[in-house]
Amino acid sequence: MNHYHTPRFRFSLPLPWVRGLILLIGSLLFVVLSAPMVAAATARHYTELEFPPLRAVEMPNYERYTMANGIVVYLMENHELPLVSGQASFRTGSRLEPSDQVGLASLTGTVLRSGGTEDRTPDEINQFLEQRAASVETSIGDAVGNASFDSLTADLPDVLNLFAEILQKPAFRANQIDLAKQQLGGAIARRNDNPNDITSREFSKRIYGPDHPYGRTVEHRTLANIAPEDLIQFYQQSFRPEQMLLGIVGDFQPQPMKALLAQAFGDWQQVAAPPLPPLPTVEQANLGGTFFIEQPQLTQSHIALGHLGGQLNDPDYAALSLMNGVLNGFGGRFFNELRSRQGLAYSVYGFWSPRFDYPGLFIAGGQTRSEATVPFIESLRREIDRIRTAPVTAAELDYAKESILNSFVFNFQSPSQTLSRLMRYEYYDYPADFIFSYQRAIQNTTATDILRAAEKYLKPEELTTLVVGNSGAIEPPLASIKGDVVALDITIPPPQ
Amino acid sequence: MQPYIDRVANNITEFTLDNGLNVIVLERHEAPVVSFATYADVGGADEPDGQTGVAHFLEHLAFKGTTRIGTRDYEQEAPLLDRLDELFEQRRAAQAAGDTAKAEALNAEFEQVQQEAAAIAIQNQFGQIVEQAGGVGLNAATSADYTLYTYSLPANKLELWMSLESERFLDPVFREFFEEQQVILEERRWRTDNSPIGQMVEAFLDAAFQVHPYRRPVIGYNEDIRNLTRQNVQDFFDLYYVPNNLTLAIVGDVDPAQVRQLAEVYFGRYAAKPAPPQVQLVEPPQTAPRSVTLSLDSEPWYLEGYHRPNGMHPDSMAYDLMASILSSGRTSRLYKSLVEEQRLALGAAGYGGFPGDKFPNLLLFYALTAPGVELDAVAAALHGEIERLKQERVTATELERVKKQAQAGLLRSLASNGGMARLLAEYQGKTGSWRNLFDQLTKIEAVTPADIQRIARATFRPENKTVGQLIRTQD
Repeated sequence: MNHYHTPRFRFSLPLPWVRGLILLIGSLLFVVLSAPMVAAATARHYTELEFPPLRAVEMPNYERYTMANGIVVYLMENHELPLVSGQASFRTGSRLEPSDQVGLASLTGTVLRSGGTEDRTPDEINQFLEQRAASVETSIGDAVGNASFDSLTADLPDVLNLFAEILQKPAFRANQIDLAKQQLGGAIARRNDNPNDITSREFSKRIYGPDHPYGRTVEHRTLANIAPEDLIQFYQQSFRPEQMLLGIVGDFQPQPMKALLAQAFGDWQQVAAPPLPPLPTVEQANLGGTFFIEQPQLTQSHIALGHLGGQLNDPDYAALSLMNGVLNGFGGRFFNELRSRQGLAYSVYGFWSPRFDYPGLFIAGGQTRSEATVPFIESLRREIDRIRTAPVTAAELDYAKESILNSFVFNFQSPSQTLSRLMRYEYYDYPADFIFSYQRAIQNTTATDILRAAEKYLKPEELTTLVVGNSGAIEPPLASIKGDVVALDITIPPPQ
Repeated sequence: MQPYIDRVANNITEFTLDNGLNVIVLERHEAPVVSFATYADVGGADEPDGQTGVAHFLEHLAFKGTTRIGTRDYEQEAPLLDRLDELFEQRRAAQAAGDTAKAEALNAEFEQVQQEAAAIAIQNQFGQIVEQAGGVGLNAATSADYTLYTYSLPANKLELWMSLESERFLDPVFREFFEEQQVILEERRWRTDNSPIGQMVEAFLDAAFQVHPYRRPVIGYNEDIRNLTRQNVQDFFDLYYVPNNLTLAIVGDVDPAQVRQLAEVYFGRYAAKPAPPQVQLVEPPQTAPRSVTLSLDSEPWYLEGYHRPNGMHPDSMAYDLMASILSSGRTSRLYKSLVEEQRLALGAAGYGGFPGDKFPNLLLFYALTAPGVELDAVAAALHGEIERLKQERVTATELERVKKQAQAGLLRSLASNGGMARLLAEYQGKTGSWRNLFDQLTKIEAVTPADIQRIARATFRPENKTVGQLIRTQD
């Protein structure tokens, strides 16, 4: 609260390659160069500097194996500190919950941890963990279920056993379900308090559709439809050994760890449960149009415009991420033009923002004083038109390319970063060397490729615009942009 | 735990340049990367009255370049920047005199000159150089106490940081001042004016402090931001961005001997200057309860703050551990009581160090009411827990728990280059020695249940309390 940052952008790209790496057992060097450092005796301007080659990065060793019940295990030792952490992913997600029970996945993920186990009460678990400065957490997001633990080395067997107990023998106690429901109900009541939240939520609804799994939101009505048995069934459908990837990183020895895991998870057997439904299909709900949400107390408009995007495994992904680089960042067109030259916004962005296994968004936006709303939208649209009609300059291409390639080493800062990436690739069925294919594709992309991709993937006629603001102060009015303005009512439907 | 802390401490090298600049280097060779933090011991609390926001404005302008970075031709640019300042003053005078026609004419000229200057400037070149070299995490933060500039580079580019960062504060040009003024006003609208809790916090601080500059918003008052001039920023810079008020921390795959040699070459260019002035204002003891209520378009929030001593006070660790007992985790007293058992709040916690901790500050509690719950009910439940701390000592188990968590927290922080650079720079810059970061282990050990009861009794008095209530506007 007391810090004021100068962010490059507020919507961050879901950069999958920021955590993960290659499926090999052994140590691998990807930059095999070293040279003595030459230091200056006098201060030099940055243009006069030459740099020695970067020291080789050492890839962490790891082991991957599958337990008899189907759990895939990754083990990665790191003895820098007396700490061990684990992360597990499960094949599930809120996108798979029934449409009349929105909130079921989130509740299940919360109460799995908070509701205690058959053998221990919630209080006993909380006390046990916090007394050891350890943690176990679980959650379900839109496309994956997560469980994690963190422990000092000395407490590892106890914490790991509790982690296993929570995953295999949760009790879903009624009072903790009630508490979690009250928390979700409270979040519904507060969801219109902040214009940032309104904008991102309602924009997704305009693109994916208000009732679509990627656009819908939890309501008092859907919460009321959820019974304790529903949580138990959704848990049984989701948290299953054959749907589990488990990664452990830190200060342990592999043989004892394997024995511990065999003892903690080896007896976990599948229970009969109806399978989760297939992934939802996606198409854009609104092809164009301007939508407006009246918030008369605001002096600033929150703006988002965009359309349906793509996946990370699109063949043009490298070209599109270079396009992102030309548009964003300190040297990016949006920042230079709308923020630094025109002073229109503190935050402005425009991203091709893909997902692993379903179409993400192309989204541009920011916030600007009410009277600058229309000029801001026009400036955004002008930059979108420009990137798809004229090639980027050689300097822009160098900026975008070198930014990605020179910072590539930051994908390999720690073993846990590598482990997360490997597991994410396996979860979404991506090749383990995806990050290196991406690196090569970036190297080989030209300005022509970016232009062709921008022209193909950015569709000005499908850009859907959402403004959250005070219509009385928006001058010229939104209606001066072509097409009708549709007013949206975001009144929260009260509990029944 | 101590051996791990000792091992890290043994990998730290510190030195002071002849001009007084402090440098801390922590070797960490896990990956060929290095993180940098430049800590300026100046923040919102140091601003002159009427110039609130100048520390933060300066932080934004520290991304605008130098006489050689961010410009096509500084010789040609400089007179335009001066001319803009003059036109801005003349326009303000014309507006004040009610001479609309003159103000409009001046405005037209202002915009013309602004365009000429913009054509010579290279927008955001500083940031672009860093990013293109592979830099990540380029950012800065301004707090009431300090201003911090950070980024990380591949380890072979240590000298690039030396060159860019030293030039940044040796030879800064505060160009694009008026464009950035608009950006900062947008930032203020976003953080404060259009955020119910943002408005509430500003009003709360204004009530809780009457004398000390902690009462003012770091981003600055709207009117002050609009009235700041480039000269104000320059004066503030000249006074506070002097070598003995700056600390550099460098953490990662580096050789300390080389860091020292380069630091002498690059940062040795700074001329030694007198130590800047320190905040002299002292908040007098509060003598009666205070409260502030705002009615806004938001579900309710409850805030309650108590004055407490600064971060280097011998009781500071006891305050932190007391806050943890109340607020940290699912076993904490406020969660168990207000959230889980009584179901009065969606969340409730309290932490010290607000809005800073260089000076005596606030232990601030906040609670978000559960649907249908009145603020009074939340306040009463909070007071129940506060009273309990005064009436009975915390249990040995509770205290052990938060001590273990504090120790483990320190241990976990060691695994991040960027995090360690920020911590080392802050402890060196604010407390005079980075060793105070690790001395926390000893301080944690020393706290007793009696200490916590003593500070609770000293602190939780009605006349030391400020209440903030954010209630929903009734249509």
